[in-house]
Amino acid sequence: MLSELELRVLSFIKDKGVTSSTEISASLGLPKSSVFSVVYHLASEGYVRVVNTKKERKLVLTEEGETRLKEGFPEENLLRMLSRGPVKVQEAKDALGKDFEIAMSWAKKRGLINVQRGEIASLVQTYVAPERELLEKVKRGERLGDNEVTLLKGRNLVEEKEETEIEVEFLREPGLRSALLFLTPELIRSGEWRKYEFKKFNVRALPPYVPIGKKHYFREFIERAKEVMVSLGFSEVKSDYVEMEFYNFDMLFQPQDHPAREIHDSFRVEGRGEVKDEGLLRRVKEVHERWWNYKWDQEVALRLVMRSQTTATTARVLSTSPKPPARVFTIGKVFRPDAIDATHLIEFHQLDGLIVEEDFNFRKLLGVLKEIFAGLGIKEIKFKPAYFPFTEPSVEVYGWIGKLGWVEMAGAGLLRPEVTEPAGVYSPAGAWGLGLDRLAMLFLGVKDIRDLYSDDIEFLRNRKVEAQW
Amino acid sequence: MVTITLRKSRLLEKLKLTEGELEEVLFNLKSEVEPVDQENIAIEINADRLDMLNLGGIVRAAKGIMGVELGEPKYKVVDTDYVLEVRRVESRPYALGAVVYNVDLDQEKLRELIQFQEKLHDTIGRRRKKVAIGIHDLKKVDTKRIVYSTVPLNYKFVPLNQKEAMTVSEVMERTDQGKKYGNLSVYNNLSPAILQEDGQVLSVPPVINSEKTKIEEGTKDVFIDVTGTNLQAVMETLDILVTNLAEEGGVIGRVKVTGAIDVNSSPVLNHRVVEARVDYVLKRIGVELGGEDVVRYLSMMRMNSSLEGDVLKVTVPPYRTDVMRDVDLAEDVAMAIGYNKLEPLQIGATIFGKFLKETSLYTAFRELSVGAGLQEIYSLVLTKSNHLEGNFVRLLNPISAEYDAVRNSLIWTTLRFLSRNQRARFPVKVFEIGEVVVPSNSDTGFRNDLREVMAVMDSKVSFEQLQSLLHQVIVNATDIEPSYEENDDRLFIPGRGATVILKGEKVGIVGEVNPEVLVKFDVFYPVVISEIYLGKIANLI
Repeated sequence: MLSELELRVLSFIKDKGVTSSTEISASLGLPKSSVFSVVYHLASEGYVRVVNTKKERKLVLTEEGETRLKEGFPEENLLRMLSRGPVKVQEAKDALGKDFEIAMSWAKKRGLINVQRGEIASLVQTYVAPERELLEKVKRGERLGDNEVTLLKGRNLVEEKEETEIEVEFLREPGLRSALLFLTPELIRSGEWRKYEFKKFNVRALPPYVPIGKKHYFREFIERAKEVMVSLGFSEVKSDYVEMEFYNFDMLFQPQDHPAREIHDSFRVEGRGEVKDEGLLRRVKEVHERWWNYKWDQEVALRLVMRSQTTATTARVLSTSPKPPARVFTIGKVFRPDAIDATHLIEFHQLDGLIVEEDFNFRKLLGVLKEIFAGLGIKEIKFKPAYFPFTEPSVEVYGWIGKLGWVEMAGAGLLRPEVTEPAGVYSPAGAWGLGLDRLAMLFLGVKDIRDLYSDDIEFLRNRKVEAQW
Repeated sequence: MVTITLRKSRLLEKLKLTEGELEEVLFNLKSEVEPVDQENIAIEINADRLDMLNLGGIVRAAKGIMGVELGEPKYKVVDTDYVLEVRRVESRPYALGAVVYNVDLDQEKLRELIQFQEKLHDTIGRRRKKVAIGIHDLKKVDTKRIVYSTVPLNYKFVPLNQKEAMTVSEVMERTDQGKKYGNLSVYNNLSPAILQEDGQVLSVPPVINSEKTKIEEGTKDVFIDVTGTNLQAVMETLDILVTNLAEEGGVIGRVKVTGAIDVNSSPVLNHRVVEARVDYVLKRIGVELGGEDVVRYLSMMRMNSSLEGDVLKVTVPPYRTDVMRDVDLAEDVAMAIGYNKLEPLQIGATIFGKFLKETSLYTAFRELSVGAGLQEIYSLVLTKSNHLEGNFVRLLNPISAEYDAVRNSLIWTTLRFLSRNQRARFPVKVFEIGEVVVPSNSDTGFRNDLREVMAVMDSKVSFEQLQSLLHQVIVNATDIEPSYEENDDRLFIPGRGATVILKGEKVGIVGEVNPEVLVKFDVFYPVVISEIYLGKIANLI
């Protein structure tokens, strides 16, 4: 229900169609503040619409201005006293009190009086102060000239104030209607909806929780790494988690008594594999026995492990004697027994790559590494000589991470002939491997590696989606 | 990587370097420096550079790459009248000996020498199994004739740092070293031993030395025995030891060797000649240089070489056991040039890369599953065997019962995931696409299989609630309408499980999980779950 005042204002707005707060205030004699509150309420109920709101610096009457307009200017009051004849100065002083000085000064300045022998006499018949009209104009919102404004300001009758002015448009009549919760196709089609008022919702309230579909943030990182490799011309390959030591170690020229092959460095699986290529087995045996000077045991090579490096995949590819030019990569899980803590897990990802080209060399390998890291978002890298049993020359790649400085990120090298030749590959071949989990932790701001495989769905739900890399 | 600790001031003085410069030089020698405290630094040495496991070796290598000293150093070698008689020792057939004069051990040098010995044990020695070293104060060795032989287990001697004589078996049972290494070489109740001619024990390899010939501060000259199961490793170990001590001022004394071994005297100080084509070495690195440049770079790596036409003949010093052939020389030349001075070359992108079919399939099913409103999860491949059913791979050496098997289905890891999220905001709607390991007729007997699991857990769920999503995902990814048949798997509530069929093939399952199973996983809310076999689906489309 609308109040009487609200109805009055609404009816005024209806008559005008479009009007302003100033107009409403002036026409209905309402203070601006009440006009605003009424209009906003009408708007919230849907009877009117505020079409424009602007702030303006406006001239308004000061308190003194309002008083003078109502009670007369001092000089007007003085002249009214004099209209019945001259008056003694003391008498006028008593009558006008603190306004006496103001009255005298303005009356003299305007040549309205004459003072002789202690008596004040009027020089004019009647007098209306010109300020009166100016103040009326200000009240109506009319514009004044600069001199006029200066005059009024000088007498402290007006001041500038910032005022809000709104424009409002009439929408509909008030009436009695029942509230509607759901709009239905029938209501729309029949037009019946017009008879109802829609029940208002508290749209400021936060909505209830609804789970939405979201990708896993770490897997996004892995997919991105794959895209980088494909964009550099590498094709994806894969191999299985359960692997023979032959591909995990022997083909990679790791002697069977190499410390990395000790039982606590890889997970063993029951069973025995089979290498069908007898020639490959023989040639691998030969290079091991020739260079490492020990008796190579085929049974050790056929033991099963959970692969401990994705270089096993590279070895698998090599065993198919790829013809140059060949560029392949794999991203996959590897498994190593390790005490689980914030930086160690028993399974993690590696990215391994292989490139076989007629004229491939070490400097080209450095170039490939540079491009891969640039693709992953690491612009500054440096190279450190390194050792891996299967590469020579070997290199470790360090990347610059602002907060941490130089961080070791990858191992690489040209595959030794002892690795490529038994597989029938005689062109130079570059290979590299890098751990993705640590890199992801740096990029994704993850402190604990276990968070990459979090089993807390709220953690995943609350994690912001990376909008940029 | 092997880490050794050295007195910082000793190293910096010998090389006339600041700490920062040292770091740089060692970085280019595959090593990394970490401060330990005010006085000491830890240096990480790469496993191939056994010659750098003590101060002398590091100084030698650093001086070369700095250009301060080039080529192989000439160490003083003299003949001695010591004889090592090697008898038949079944379990550990090889032994060599050497004398080094003027080692002049002070407190720091003593510590370094013991550390050097231990690091060699851990690397080339394969924790003493392959090679073990005994170092003795030469002054305390009473006879010129030393014998490598076996002794019975009741043979007595005073082991290092003990006051009283013990039998060999007591040493094995009571001392730390005995417990650790005792079982390595005892054979037929006999233990290898290095003895004086009069039968007094110098050491019981690979376990312990005797207190009698203990080295200490003030020890001037040393006798070294190296024993092992591989002659080459024994030879190399001794060569590295004596040349590194010589680098610090020691004089190498040759010992006559007799008996059951094909070596006349030791240390052998074996120099190998490695030949390489200059153009092969340069092409491998990708640089254009003259043969003389290569000779000079190799001299920076402390190796002497000469040119015969296009062929490089490199005399590999005894301590560079890692240099086997031409490719190893290429690395040394590249190191001498400096890896970071080699301008990386761009390779042409003349080949188009391709994703695996599995990856494309993953992408398609993943996009659709996210569209279906499911949260992607990512769990570990290793899991608890108690949770698995059917055929699966069990680890022979697990490190914890929580991870002692390889998942053979995503159902189990997902139920485990749900059990941990019963206090999360409901509904919990998840999917995972990942590999499981199943038996197969592959060369290992197992293969990876790509699967997708989807699950909804809520206070109320229905078969259709998930089936409808699954159906749309499959239809949109394959353009084939799947059909469903009853599935009486115990996983499901009877009458609420189905097999998903595509082109007549079973490609998955979907259903409401049987409360018997839920309880086993400590899940107390209803769950509807599905698993589809993406590898199989890939072959059908």
